[in-house]
Amino acid sequence: MKKTVALVGIVCVIIAGVVVWRFAKTPSNTRVVVVYVSEDQVFSEPILRDFEKETGIKVKAVYDTEEAKSTGVMNRLIAEKDNPRADVYWANEPIRAEILKQKGISAAYGSPNAKDIPAVFKDPDGYWTGFSARARVLVVNNRVKNRPETILAYTDPRWKGKSVIANPLFGTTTAEIAALFTIWGDEQAKEFMAEMKRNHVAIATSNGESTDFVAAKQYDFSLVDSDDAINRMRQGQPVTMIYPDQGENHIGCFIVPNVAVLIKGAPHPEAAKRLIDYLLSGETEQKLAFADCAQIPLHPGVQTPPELKPIKDIKVMRVNYAEVAKKMVEIQPFLKSWTGL
Amino acid sequence: MAKRGFLAFIVILLLAIGMLPVLSMLIKSVMVGGHFTLASYRGLLTSARQWTLMGNSMALASLITTLTVAVGVPLGILLGKTDLPFRRFFTVLFVIPLLIPPYIIAVSWFDLLGREGLLVHLSGISATMTAGFLFGLPGCVAVLFSIFLPIPMLLTMILLRTINPRLEEAGRLVSGWQGVMKGVTIPLILPGVLLSAMLVFLLSFGEFSVPNFLRYDVFPVESFTRFSAFYDFKAATAAAVPLVAVMLILLLAEAAFLRERTYQLRPSPEIGGLSLIGLGTHRKWLFASVAIAGFVIVIVPIVVLVIQSAGIDAYAEALNRAGDSLLRSLIYAVIGATLLTFLGFFTGYLIQTKALKLWRSVDSLTILLLALPSTVIGIGLISLWNTSWTNFIYSTPIIIILGYLAKYTALTSRISVAQLGQIPSAMEEAAQVAGAGWFRRITFIIAPLARRGLLIGWVVGYIFSLRDTGITMLVYPAGHETLPVRIFTLMANGSPQLIAALCMIMITATLLPAGILWMMPSIMKRKAIK
Repeated sequence: MKKTVALVGIVCVIIAGVVVWRFAKTPSNTRVVVVYVSEDQVFSEPILRDFEKETGIKVKAVYDTEEAKSTGVMNRLIAEKDNPRADVYWANEPIRAEILKQKGISAAYGSPNAKDIPAVFKDPDGYWTGFSARARVLVVNNRVKNRPETILAYTDPRWKGKSVIANPLFGTTTAEIAALFTIWGDEQAKEFMAEMKRNHVAIATSNGESTDFVAAKQYDFSLVDSDDAINRMRQGQPVTMIYPDQGENHIGCFIVPNVAVLIKGAPHPEAAKRLIDYLLSGETEQKLAFADCAQIPLHPGVQTPPELKPIKDIKVMRVNYAEVAKKMVEIQPFLKSWTGL
Repeated sequence: MAKRGFLAFIVILLLAIGMLPVLSMLIKSVMVGGHFTLASYRGLLTSARQWTLMGNSMALASLITTLTVAVGVPLGILLGKTDLPFRRFFTVLFVIPLLIPPYIIAVSWFDLLGREGLLVHLSGISATMTAGFLFGLPGCVAVLFSIFLPIPMLLTMILLRTINPRLEEAGRLVSGWQGVMKGVTIPLILPGVLLSAMLVFLLSFGEFSVPNFLRYDVFPVESFTRFSAFYDFKAATAAAVPLVAVMLILLLAEAAFLRERTYQLRPSPEIGGLSLIGLGTHRKWLFASVAIAGFVIVIVPIVVLVIQSAGIDAYAEALNRAGDSLLRSLIYAVIGATLLTFLGFFTGYLIQTKALKLWRSVDSLTILLLALPSTVIGIGLISLWNTSWTNFIYSTPIIIILGYLAKYTALTSRISVAQLGQIPSAMEEAAQVAGAGWFRRITFIIAPLARRGLLIGWVVGYIFSLRDTGITMLVYPAGHETLPVRIFTLMANGSPQLIAALCMIMITATLLPAGILWMMPSIMKRKAIK
């Protein structure tokens, strides 16, 4: 009997050893890349598969869930700072990339494919590079006459109780409000927020939900991401997309590019750089423009679908994303109290 | 000596897998820069939001418990004690929602009642009204009611079999069935019913995926958001503390008042004599009521998913996008189920034979881990294993398997306890007198006699490992996502057809082994006749 037990024990140890070796061995540095992705999986996965096909490099990805408000994987990167497991972070906006830079989690990399991308969408030190952007737009129900053309409509008594906005504690709405703080200064921005509240703005849980509210005629307009608006327009919903604040003295439209980030101490640095080059290419931008996410290419001359304005035709809000990132952290308590938490 | 040594090893294994991560998380939440601090916990009692969350969690769990017990116990009596037609079919039907990942049921109801739902399209009912019902407390209660209803129903059915029919027959001499049920049957099964109520309360109190999907703020959602959206380990732990406290109080109450009485519930030796209640003239309308309930609670959500996913294209795309995840899910579930059966068998043996003094603590520990929200266990696992020394665990699927073992050992352990209780101790004693060592007795006497329990335990372990979302979503290493996780991540902007098709694939993969197990007795009977 003892022999049987010993034999079973030895077999178990061998199996455990094989399993550990199989899963823990470090693959060849150039054949695998680990990427953490905040962009919706449904849009990012086809791009990563194309990369696999074209380069033969296997992509291992961790995707964010909607519930984590696209910050789950960034937080995982922070947790793994002393023991990095990821090579690349594909963020769906630049603010988180800035936070990673400030925390010393990312590394600088100047991709050759980034040279045509406008400087405003790149970190000057090369810690992140933007590509394929969303615009923050007004989505307006088609029955509304004299449509709003500026985000200041939120404070206009004409729209009292008729507007909705996604929870400013999360996602691109937080980023845009932080951007307004950097442009207007704290006092004016807080006054804008207070005025919005007095004008009875409704709060939705997400940009998608507030777009649905507008499509269902529950509210007249909302400030959302361009992909949400285009998605509903393609579904035949009665909504129109307006790029806000395009007038001469206006602040312009807030642009939220995707960004590619190289992780400091990445286990597969060479493959990581190849993936970043691929993401920053005009071909990837074109694919993302014609996908359902309808993102705006930042390379000049890349084709776009008819619903999208090329980036050169949009008056862009001039912001420093590093300042916006700092401001975002700073205004969290204010936003919490504004939303009543 | 071999017996005690091996069982002590199992206890240590259980502590390392389940308790160590939770302890590690608790310790990290009170240490900042090497100093002890309760800063993370300070806002716990003073913040109005915490009390709101507590109120929401209590309201949700209380409503679900009340409803499931109020419906589940009569349903269990109808299916287990009366001559209602198609009792076995209905039993299996009502159990299905418990076997499917909870959020899939939520997705299905969303496809029916959401703004773009089938009901709105077909009947023209206001989308605001249906979506208003679905999102929030009423929707959460309705969905979780359908998921947890089988618990009191099944326990009632099992408990009815523990009653000596002679007691009921004696009662029948002086009273009708109504009086016997009121005076004999119900009082006898009451401890078990209370246990089922407590189980439902604990599970709904710790449920994350449905309230999260239906946007109802409860503690598990807060804990997950604190971790995932803010990566605040300490705040996430603090947010989970009220959950743990409520669960500990309930477990202590169960240990004090119920456990001894429920351990005594064993199948009646006169099982063959289980007398059925004739429903007489009530048979038809009761049958119709049960059929309608089964249709609404189980058939409708599945039919909605089938309609939504209609077309080969959706399934082709689903398999193309998630075929690898499905394969991984199946492999991890098989490994998880096998290890859960092993661990659960020996834990159950320890509890059943009281071989070590701490058998009661081991039982409480497994139940506590089952009741703890998945996010707490997931965060604990990351906290413990995310080091360069333990990459072979953190960066591999081993971390997922450890999560399954921590969370679901209570299920296989309790199944083993029930099965081992039916094996006369004389069997093992006789082998011992004949000179067989403990391992030999376990291998050649106990395990073969308990094979039915082992098989059921394996299938239960497989189903719960396969449907797990909460732990896997937090800990899965890059390139190792499972199907439930992939469905969750594809929900962000994925087409409803694709999501519905993935849900149907998930349901099939989950129910297939359960279906085979259900058919096994009749297959074996046919073989025996041949």
